[in-house]
Amino acid sequence: MNEPVARRDVFPRIAACGDCALAIEFAEHIDEAVNARVIALATALADCPIAGIEEMVPTYRSLMVLYDPEIVSGRVLRQTLATRLAGLAVGRTPLRRFRVPVLYGGAAGLDLAELAAMKNMTPADLIEMHASADYRVYMIGFAPGFVYLGGVPEALHTPRLPQPRQHIAAGSIGLGGQQASINSVPGPSGWRFLGRTPVRVFDPARPQPFLLRAGDRVRFQPISLEEATRLDVAVAAGEIGMTAEGAL
Amino acid sequence: MALEILKPGLATTVQDLGRPGYYHLGIPLSGGMDRLALAAANLLVGNDEGDAVLEAVFLGPEIRFTTDAVIAVTGADMPLKIDGVELSTWTTLAIKADQVLSFGFLKAGARIYIAVAGGIDVPVVLGSRSTYPLGALGGHQGRTLKAGDALATLPPKRAMAPGSTIAPERRRGPGTSPVLRVLPGLYWHRITAEAGNGFFDDTWKVAPEADRIGYRFRGGRPLEFVPREPPFGAGSDPSNIVDSCYPYGSIQVPGGTEPIVLHRDAVSGGGYFMIGTVISADMDLIGQLQPNQKVRFVKVTMDEALAARKDAQATAARIRASF
Repeated sequence: MNEPVARRDVFPRIAACGDCALAIEFAEHIDEAVNARVIALATALADCPIAGIEEMVPTYRSLMVLYDPEIVSGRVLRQTLATRLAGLAVGRTPLRRFRVPVLYGGAAGLDLAELAAMKNMTPADLIEMHASADYRVYMIGFAPGFVYLGGVPEALHTPRLPQPRQHIAAGSIGLGGQQASINSVPGPSGWRFLGRTPVRVFDPARPQPFLLRAGDRVRFQPISLEEATRLDVAVAAGEIGMTAEGAL
Repeated sequence: MALEILKPGLATTVQDLGRPGYYHLGIPLSGGMDRLALAAANLLVGNDEGDAVLEAVFLGPEIRFTTDAVIAVTGADMPLKIDGVELSTWTTLAIKADQVLSFGFLKAGARIYIAVAGGIDVPVVLGSRSTYPLGALGGHQGRTLKAGDALATLPPKRAMAPGSTIAPERRRGPGTSPVLRVLPGLYWHRITAEAGNGFFDDTWKVAPEADRIGYRFRGGRPLEFVPREPPFGAGSDPSNIVDSCYPYGSIQVPGGTEPIVLHRDAVSGGGYFMIGTVISADMDLIGQLQPNQKVRFVKVTMDEALAARKDAQATAARIRASF
């Protein structure tokens, strides 16, 4: 018997992704409550593991489970996950809040002026709008430590570039569709960029390579070139360069 | 130091069996693209199966050994030479200090594995010696090798007699008309039935964009989508989804035109829909495909996928048992 392929978009759904992975999809849109359920399921599975699950990858709206089919069959795992899902409680986990310093514009703010013009705003208005929003880390991934943020004000929603750029620096602060980013490693991107942070959200040489995780809250703090230069030096010397605003 | 890289080849990296456990942070498994060939090379020099070796793609490196060593090369069909004299692949070889290992032109397959007794000695990063260049992680300084790089090896674990070999029938290659078996997946229902049939009927060709992150294919018909309203956050292209996890082997089709199969250095997520996943048993095979090679995708059931996985494990077990 074949594993049933999910035929319709009915949620939640559990679907095979090859012979070593299952996806539990809660929805197909961006929604904070949906993301909270994804994280709650990942947390519940971490606290009370199912033998055979090797890795769990939480995303905006789904949890990908990588498993070893020699330890647990996909059919059994699917049933076990369905049972866990039925009893899933979304608890109040303490939120972590961070303020990330951003040097808007300049060499890293590739699209600031054009985006402001597109939106009939001054660059200063756009910066204020971007920096006043409360963002949620929905997902880490794509590249090591890449931070996907939701909570972008609707006025800043922006189509991606038709042609991706080949080199975007680590630390770049981006907008893509309804999503925002803190880029973690250099690489190609079709998103639009407003500036950069001296903070390295990913640094494999640091005892704590990753600074943020799904569920964290982030606000951006505009800083001057002098402050950015000072932070660049501090970060190079091993400092984190951003402040935690404490648990809520 | 034991190895001095005289010529690096095209993209030669240090690889072992990878770095599981960090995909949720965007760090992929990495490790050998052809894991069976990597393990076989290690066994031939008395290493553990997952010790660090060199993986070279399309073009072999030129390496001067600064100490006597025991080596073996497996994987693609690429003539191997020591001081210009052609010797056998898939065979334990002794090389002396100051001798140079080099390679002729690739005849079939894509990747060779060069194992040295003891294994390549680079720092273990997050549990593995594998190179992940995008994250500048692991391997030799987190990157592909360059001329002038010097690599050390760890002390050999077991002595292997030169001339030990793996029988030709136990070696695995891409063959002349490779087939990649596929389990239709998460978003299969978003393309029309005709498009689904076309995907499996068409002959595809490996595109030049084929690397450790993923293999792109072209030449088949574009996919037709079932009409729908895009969900909030997904963008208007019907091949877009709200960013999600890409499992290894998953087949994404940006714009519905050219399928990309993600491999060992996969990006962990992104916003393209996936029509299915290449079965785990066929992942090694992808690592031995060359650009322009013709490939077909064949639909299988989960039971067939698991049977193929068992077959692949039995092949590995037979190689292991022969040592």
